[in-house]
Amino acid sequence: MARIVSAMALTHSPGLTGWFDQAPAHQQAEARRALGEMRERLAAARPDVVVLFTNDHLLNWPINNTPEYTVGIGEEHVGPADWYDEWLALAKYRIPGHPALARHIVNEGARRRLALSYLRQMQFDDGVSVPMHYLNPAGSVALVPVSMNCTVPPIPTPERAYHVGLTLRDVLRAYPGDERIAVLATGGLSHEPGGPRYFWVDEEFDRWFLDLLKKGDHAALLSECTLERMEEAGSGGTAELLAWILVLAFTTGPAEVLAYMPAIAWRSGTGMVAWNVAA
Amino acid sequence: MGSVDRCDKTLPLNEMIFHVRRDAALRARWLTDLEGLAREFGLSAAEYEALRDRDVRRLHEIGVHQYYVPQILRLFYGAAANANSHPALQAYRRAYPEESARALRLQDELARRDR
Repeated sequence: MARIVSAMALTHSPGLTGWFDQAPAHQQAEARRALGEMRERLAAARPDVVVLFTNDHLLNWPINNTPEYTVGIGEEHVGPADWYDEWLALAKYRIPGHPALARHIVNEGARRRLALSYLRQMQFDDGVSVPMHYLNPAGSVALVPVSMNCTVPPIPTPERAYHVGLTLRDVLRAYPGDERIAVLATGGLSHEPGGPRYFWVDEEFDRWFLDLLKKGDHAALLSECTLERMEEAGSGGTAELLAWILVLAFTTGPAEVLAYMPAIAWRSGTGMVAWNVAA
Repeated sequence: MGSVDRCDKTLPLNEMIFHVRRDAALRARWLTDLEGLAREFGLSAAEYEALRDRDVRRLHEIGVHQYYVPQILRLFYGAAANANSHPALQAYRRAYPEESARALRLQDELARRDR
């Protein structure tokens, strides 16, 4: 059976590639260091495939039809989408997919009453492109992208994301292969893309959330970190942390916070964490 | 709950932006035939005027999804090097001067704290 060998999370803000040099020098240095450390940790885990949880920024699905979760089942993933490449200042990349695992996720999810949409050709915005640029730059590790909706109302709750994480943990472990699987969450921390507080970063919320992760008490986090609290810290953006909460379900013990920056220049609380994988 | 809940999921403008972003031919028409595009997608006069005027606050008020508003501005002003000094972001500072000033004051405080 497949094994989960790594669980990490990071911010995917477009400023990390598109206007990186606009942040203060110490934030650039800190981001480079933490992203380098994540890349080394990922390589050390020797994954065959990264299953990446992020959110669709209204790119793959129109507003009249936004599935809760979508799995990219293609043979190969090509990004960024044309509309995003200039914004992200990234050249086109190609990363092999893992269709067998991706299709297993869709079908085994359904058998566990979890509705997962799928796309053979997914388009990629910052949610996949920024993390892959830093962590999988040569596209040498296969990718299964899983996007979620966290910005078109109704936004799912943290409890729901954690429940989906528990289900997907069982689904991935049940894959009949020897694959070593890294799970990666991307998004957050506090930000409000396109809202009245577009420039704002809620440092107090971010440090409180990271402290909850450091305590490693999943039940306490779920009872304290409500969707309402996330929305107060940045509407339609901070809830990208639902991807982190989904991956939390794969982990045990305290998170190790590798870095945190209240990066107003990148218009997002910016953080990187790693966990121990649950047995 | 949050400001994102104010969006009108049935607004034609919200459908239009989805398609424009994904279609190079529609993007090319943005600066030359916005009125024609608006007509084809069934926008109301209020939607078209808010769009034409690049009016961030009015776009929010009529129910454009807030994530789409900076995308609309990038279609007008360009997407490269989208830092806080970019014209697309300056439109936000004009629309929400108080919220923007508060954030930029915090940025200055953080810069002082970290020196």
